[in-house]
Amino acid sequence: MEFFGSIWDSFYQNVIYEQRWLFLLKGLGTTLLISLVSIMFSTIIGTFMAFMKMSKYKVLRAIAVTYINIIRGTPVVTQLLLIYFGIFGSVDISKIAVAIFAFSINSGAYVAEIIRAGINAVDPGQMEAGRSLGLNKVQTMAKIILPQAIKKILPTYTSEFIVLIKETAIVGYIAIEDLTKVGDIIRSRTFDAFMPYIIVALMYFVVTYALTKLFGILERRLAKSDRG
Amino acid sequence: MIEVKDLKKSFEKLDVLKGVNIKIEKGEKIVVIGPSGSGKSTFLRCLNMLEIPTGGEIWFEGEQVNSKKTDINRIRQKMGMVFQHFNLFPHLTVLQNITLAPVQLKLQTKEEAEANAMSLLERIGLADKADIYPNMISGGQKQRIAIVRALAMKPDVMLFDEPTSALDPEMVGEVLNLMKELAEDGMTMVCVTHEMGFAREVATRVIFMDEGVIQEENNPKDFFENPRNPRLQEFLSKVL
Repeated sequence: MEFFGSIWDSFYQNVIYEQRWLFLLKGLGTTLLISLVSIMFSTIIGTFMAFMKMSKYKVLRAIAVTYINIIRGTPVVTQLLLIYFGIFGSVDISKIAVAIFAFSINSGAYVAEIIRAGINAVDPGQMEAGRSLGLNKVQTMAKIILPQAIKKILPTYTSEFIVLIKETAIVGYIAIEDLTKVGDIIRSRTFDAFMPYIIVALMYFVVTYALTKLFGILERRLAKSDRG
Repeated sequence: MIEVKDLKKSFEKLDVLKGVNIKIEKGEKIVVIGPSGSGKSTFLRCLNMLEIPTGGEIWFEGEQVNSKKTDINRIRQKMGMVFQHFNLFPHLTVLQNITLAPVQLKLQTKEEAEANAMSLLERIGLADKADIYPNMISGGQKQRIAIVRALAMKPDVMLFDEPTSALDPEMVGEVLNLMKELAEDGMTMVCVTHEMGFAREVATRVIFMDEGVIQEENNPKDFFENPRNPRLQEFLSKVL
């Protein structure tokens, strides 16, 4: 009983006292805001980069390959610090906007490779069949290749989104009060390390688990035509 | 209808076609045979530019197919193609497979295309499969639907790239029968195949390709009974 009593005390101190749960929820909101807007931009960037990397023009391919290699070859924390202090250091701009910018650029490189791999995984005979009917490249891409590629893209895209949500935990480096940072601040006030972080971890888990389930439903719907 | 002049195709250092010349008239049924690696599939795929020739000229209905000025998509609408592995679109129903191109290219309205597709499906006895996905039907049915998909574009010529090679033996007949019906209807056909019986029965001209050139061409009777080229004699002795 004493054990449970002390857990309750800790929970009360770190979550309920001074409405800290509101503070935690606000942190979660910031985390989700950065993640959601970033994944939207990174999907756009990634799509462009994927097509550039598959382009017949050498210049476009070179740009895409360079971008993808540099981004994937350097730590995201370094990229964030470089962008915040190095590029926007002397500009008055919202920290959250900078974080979204950095994570969009970062995740875009991974999404580009995910999309490219998905398109390449579609049987080349599909493109040939479309073209042989007189459809042009864009029509064949839109009506035949992409609908099949999406099924192959979705599982890895989901995990990229989840990785992105978790990686935004580093925005504390530029003093954004995201979920992780909020946990940290609570710890510094209550001098209790276990409870704030376990609550924060749980909140991340609930979000990522819900997303996994949601995309799972989507995947099963798309797989309709694959069942024999 | 189709004229091929000194057609050449190389992949990197490998010369697959070393100068193919042939003239195909409307209504002809050309069957191309030859050992694997002889260039017969490459030849067929050059006709609608799925392979870009490295030399020579291809003419179709008065237009040069392999010219930068030619709109290849418009040419391809008139050249139907059937593949060894069917290449049906797995994410679309049988009906959608057939109507996609005519509707996308605005040649037919959706209603016209569907009516046309249904009458084609009825003709091959597969009207009941219209709303199911390709993974639920047999290989022979898939290939017949692939043929019908090409026919829905109302092509002037049909190209067949080993249409029965990927089929289980008991399904070869139904596909060949449909091809025979097409031939009887007067369709111009160019067919790469290993089915010697089909060549004998349906072809107006049989072509033997080896080492990237046409080694011999003749009417089926003389082609099979009096082969002159020693390579053809050797090939026929192995396959017949």
